[in-house]
Amino acid sequence: MDKIEDIKSVKKCDLLFNPTNTIYKVTDQDNNIMQVPNDLNNRHYKIILAWVADGNTIAEAD
Amino acid sequence: MAFATIGTKGIEDAAIATADIADNAVTSAKTSGIPVRPNAAPLMINGSMEVAQRGTSTASITGGGFYTADRFGTNNSGAFIGTWTQTQESLSSGDAFNDGFAKSLKMDNTTANGSPAANSQCRIDYNFEGQDLQLLKHGTASAEKTTLSFWIKATKTGTNIVKMYKPDADRSCSIAYTVSTTDTWEYKVLNFPADTSGAVIANDNTTGIQMSFGIAMGSSYTSGTLATTWAADASANAFVGQVNNADSTSNNWEITGVQLEVGEYTSATLPPFQHESFGDNLAKCQRYFVKIETGGSSSLEMAVNKANPNNYSQSRGVYCLAVPMRSGATTTLSGTVKAGYLGGDYSLSDQGFSTVAPTYGSTTDRVNIVSTYMNQSSNNSQNSMIFTLQASSSLSLDAEL
Repeated sequence: MDKIEDIKSVKKCDLLFNPTNTIYKVTDQDNNIMQVPNDLNNRHYKIILAWVADGNTIAEAD
Repeated sequence: MAFATIGTKGIEDAAIATADIADNAVTSAKTSGIPVRPNAAPLMINGSMEVAQRGTSTASITGGGFYTADRFGTNNSGAFIGTWTQTQESLSSGDAFNDGFAKSLKMDNTTANGSPAANSQCRIDYNFEGQDLQLLKHGTASAEKTTLSFWIKATKTGTNIVKMYKPDADRSCSIAYTVSTTDTWEYKVLNFPADTSGAVIANDNTTGIQMSFGIAMGSSYTSGTLATTWAADASANAFVGQVNNADSTSNNWEITGVQLEVGEYTSATLPPFQHESFGDNLAKCQRYFVKIETGGSSSLEMAVNKANPNNYSQSRGVYCLAVPMRSGATTTLSGTVKAGYLGGDYSLSDQGFSTVAPTYGSTTDRVNIVSTYMNQSSNNSQNSMIFTLQASSSLSLDAEL
C-alpha cells in the first residue's frame, strides 16, 4: 500500500479482549490484508487518514 | 638511517615516544590520507545492498513500495511510467565487485514508456531519520556540506539526477551526474552544498532528508532549471535533464556502494566505504522492517498466549523484537498461525497483531513488543496456548519511513 488508490477497504480491528490500542485492518486492491497501528509516524496510517479525508469511511469492528 | 632501510621490524615496540616527535613534525600534509569522520558509523544503512529481507526479486512493479534491498524504496507515482522487475543482484565481476561490493539493486524495465506523462516519475528513494542527521547542522550558519558517492551501471547513457529533499524545511537540492558508458560500472562522487537557510532538521524519528535517485521523469519534474543549490522545493526544478531509463525494455539501471559523507570530497580524497558485518547491517535494517519467518517445513512458536478467563477461545500474548522499531509497525501475515497446546492445535477464526509506540515517558520510537491476539472459532479449555507461525509462513513488520 503506497497511496490511497491502493486501499479497497479499512475496518477497525477487534483486538479481542482488553485491547490497549486501536489497529486497522486494511484490504488492498489485490485483497492483501495488513494491520496498521494507530501511530502518526506509521506511513500506512497516514495513507489511511488521507483515504478518510478523501471521503471514505472506516468500517466498525464486528 | 632512513626508515626504508630500517623497516618497521627494526623498531622495538614503544621505542618512539610522543616526546621524540617534535610538535610541528606531523603536518596536515602527512595526515591527509587519514579519514576523519564526525560520524562513528555510516550515515547510510545497507548502502552495500547486502540485506534484502523482503526477497531478492519482484516482477511487474508499476507502483511504489519496498521490494528487495532494505531501506531503498521504489517511488513510481503519477501516471504509468513503465513496468519493472527489481532484483538484488549478486556480483561476481566488474569494477563495483572489484571495489568490494557483492550485491546491488537492479531495476530492469519490462514494459517501456518512451513518452512519460507529465506527472509520472520513477525513482529510488532512501529516507534518513532526522535524529540521525543533526550533525549536518542544516538551517544554521555552521551547516555542513555533504558528499554522496555510489557505483552505477545503466544501459542508458547520459544525465541522471540525485535529489535531496528536506520535508521540515520544504527545501531541496539536485545534483546531476553522467553515465558515460552503457552497461558498465562507473563510480560517481556528488557534492551537495550546505544549507544555512530554512528550518533545521527536526531531531526526531521522521524523515530528515529524502534522497531520490531519478530513473525516469515526466515534464512536471524536468521543465524548470535544476536546483543545484538548496532552495524552496519546486517540482519543475527537481530532475531537469534526467534521461528516460524507461524508454526501452533493454534498459537496466543498477546501483550499489551508496555512501554519504559529511564534508566536501573528490574521488581522490573521499574516505573509503565503511563495510559492516552482515549482522550489524541486518540489525540496523530491522529498525525499519522485520520479517519473522519459518524455515521450510518447520513452524515457529512465537509467544505464549494467555486465554481470556471469561472466554477461553480468546487469547493474548507478546513477542519481543530483538531491535526496537522506529514506530508502530504495519503487520502483514503471509500463511497461517495456529493456537498450539499440549496435544494439538486449534485453527483460528481470527488473529491480530499490534505494535504501537509505548504510551509512557517520551519514547515514541522504541517499539519492541508485538502483541499477539488469537480467536478460535470453537471454545476450548486451554488457559494458555502457543501462538505458532505455521510452516512456510511469515509475519512482516514494517516501520519504514
